[in-house]
Amino acid sequence: MAGSKISPSAYVRQGVMYYYREKTIYCRYQYALRDAVDPGLLQAAADAALAAADYFKVKLVPQKQGVDLAAQEEPFTVCRGSRLRAMPDETGGYLFNISCEGDTIYCDWYHLIADGHGIARFWTRLLMEYCNRRYGAGFACPPLPSAPPYDMDALLAHDPTPREEGMPAVDPVPLEAGALCRSIVRLDKDSLVRAALGCKVKPVSALLGLLSLAVQPFVGRQRVEYCYSTDTRKVLGVPDAFYNCVASFRHGVDAGPGARLADFAADIDAGLRGSLDPGTQLTQMARMMGWVCRVDALRAPLRIKRRVFGMGEAMGNFPADFWVSYLGDPLDPDRNYPPALLDYIRDFEVWVPPDGASVGFEVASLRGQLIVCIQDKLGRAGLPDALCAVCARENVGVLEKTVLGPALPYQE
Amino acid sequence: MDRNEIIAQIVGILEDVAEISPDEVREDSVLMDDLDLSSMEILTIVADLEETFGIRIPEKELRSFVTISDLADYLSSRVG
Repeated sequence: MAGSKISPSAYVRQGVMYYYREKTIYCRYQYALRDAVDPGLLQAAADAALAAADYFKVKLVPQKQGVDLAAQEEPFTVCRGSRLRAMPDETGGYLFNISCEGDTIYCDWYHLIADGHGIARFWTRLLMEYCNRRYGAGFACPPLPSAPPYDMDALLAHDPTPREEGMPAVDPVPLEAGALCRSIVRLDKDSLVRAALGCKVKPVSALLGLLSLAVQPFVGRQRVEYCYSTDTRKVLGVPDAFYNCVASFRHGVDAGPGARLADFAADIDAGLRGSLDPGTQLTQMARMMGWVCRVDALRAPLRIKRRVFGMGEAMGNFPADFWVSYLGDPLDPDRNYPPALLDYIRDFEVWVPPDGASVGFEVASLRGQLIVCIQDKLGRAGLPDALCAVCARENVGVLEKTVLGPALPYQE
Repeated sequence: MDRNEIIAQIVGILEDVAEISPDEVREDSVLMDDLDLSSMEILTIVADLEETFGIRIPEKELRSFVTISDLADYLSSRVG
C-alpha cells in the first residue's frame, strides 16, 4: 500500500463478509460533469489516481474455503459506455471499474474492497486528476494511502456474543423477491432541515421517518423495520481507511395509516443518536465482525460457509424492510477536498442493491438537494409516488421524481 | 425417506461437524445443552442438512430446532 509495506492480504478480513454473501454486491457512484468526458484523459487520470492509491491495485485470490487479496500487476483500462461490469471477471482482475459515456463518469466497485465512505476519497481523487487534465484545475494530488488495518483482535474483545449464545430472538423480516426497479426522488434539503427542526431531531432522523412512512403501506403491517450503517472510522482510529468500517443497526417504528412524522421522529432520533455512541458502535461492529471471523474460521466448503453466513445475518437483526445509506457529501463525507471541484460536477447518482432488504435508499447531499436513489424489489409500483406524497404532507419539497426502470445488470 | 433414515443422516452430520459420537445422540437430545452445540455449529449442521436433502430451510424455522427430534420432524415433513 502507498507509503507502507502492508500486504494486501492484511486487508481481506475487513471486507470478506462480502465474499460470504450469496449475492455479490457491486456498487456504483456516477458523476455527471459539465462537459462530455474525454476517455483518453480519464484513462490518464485513472492511472494517476491508482498510482497514488495503490490500495486498489489488488486482485482476488480464491482459496479452497475462502479468499485472499494479492498485489495486482496488470494495467487498468478505462471502459467506454455505462454498463456495469462483473468484477473482477470483466475488469481485468481489478475489483473496481471506471467507465464513461457522454458527460458521466461511472465508478463501480466490489463492496469487498471498500465501503462508500472509504472509496469516495479515491473517486474524488480521480475527478481531481481528470479536472487537472481537462480543465487545468491545478488540484494538488499527493499520495493517497489507506490507514493500516484496524486491530481485529482488539475490536473482537468488544464482542459480547458468548460462544454458547442461543439463537437470537429476532424474527427475520421476510424479503420480497420481485424484480428490482430504480427510481430517484430529489428533495429540497432546506425544507427537510426545517421539518427536522420542527420535530427537534436530526435531519437524517426526519429522512428516516419520511422513508418509513412511504414504505409502510407496502409492507402490510404497522411496524416498519429499517437498517442503516454508521461509519466507524473515527472510533477505530482509522479515519483514512479505504476498507469497510461500519456498524449496522436495525430500528423499527409504527408508521401505520394516519401516522405523522412528529409522532415518531423523536423515537427514530433517539435510536440514531444511540447508535452513534462510540461504545455502542464498537460493540455492534465487534458483534458483526465476530460473526464474520467465526464464519471465516469455519472449516467447511465455501458453499456451506456462505449459507451459514447468510443464516447468521438473517438471525442477527437483519434483514429489514428497507435499508438506508446516508452518504452525505458524495465527494467526501468529511469534505476534505477543494471546494472548486464542485464547479465541475453537475450531478451525482448512487446505485447499490438493497443488501438484506426489499428496498434500498441511498441518499447523497449535493447542491442543496438530497438525492434519494431507490432500489425497490417490492414488485409493486408507486413507492416513489408514496415518498413524494409523504413529503408533501410533511412540507418537505420534492424537486423531481424519476422512474428509471429495471436494475443495472448484476444488481438485479 | 423414513424418519429413521433422516435421523441417521442427522447423526452422521453431527459426527462430521461437531465430532459427536453417534452413541451420545438421542432423539430427545437438546442441541445446545445436551450436545453442547454452538449456534455456529447448529447453522453448519442445518446447511449440511439442506445440501443432503436438497431443500432450503427458512431462517424463521431455526429457533424451533431445540432437539434432534425437532429437526427430524421438520425434515420428515419436507422430505419424508
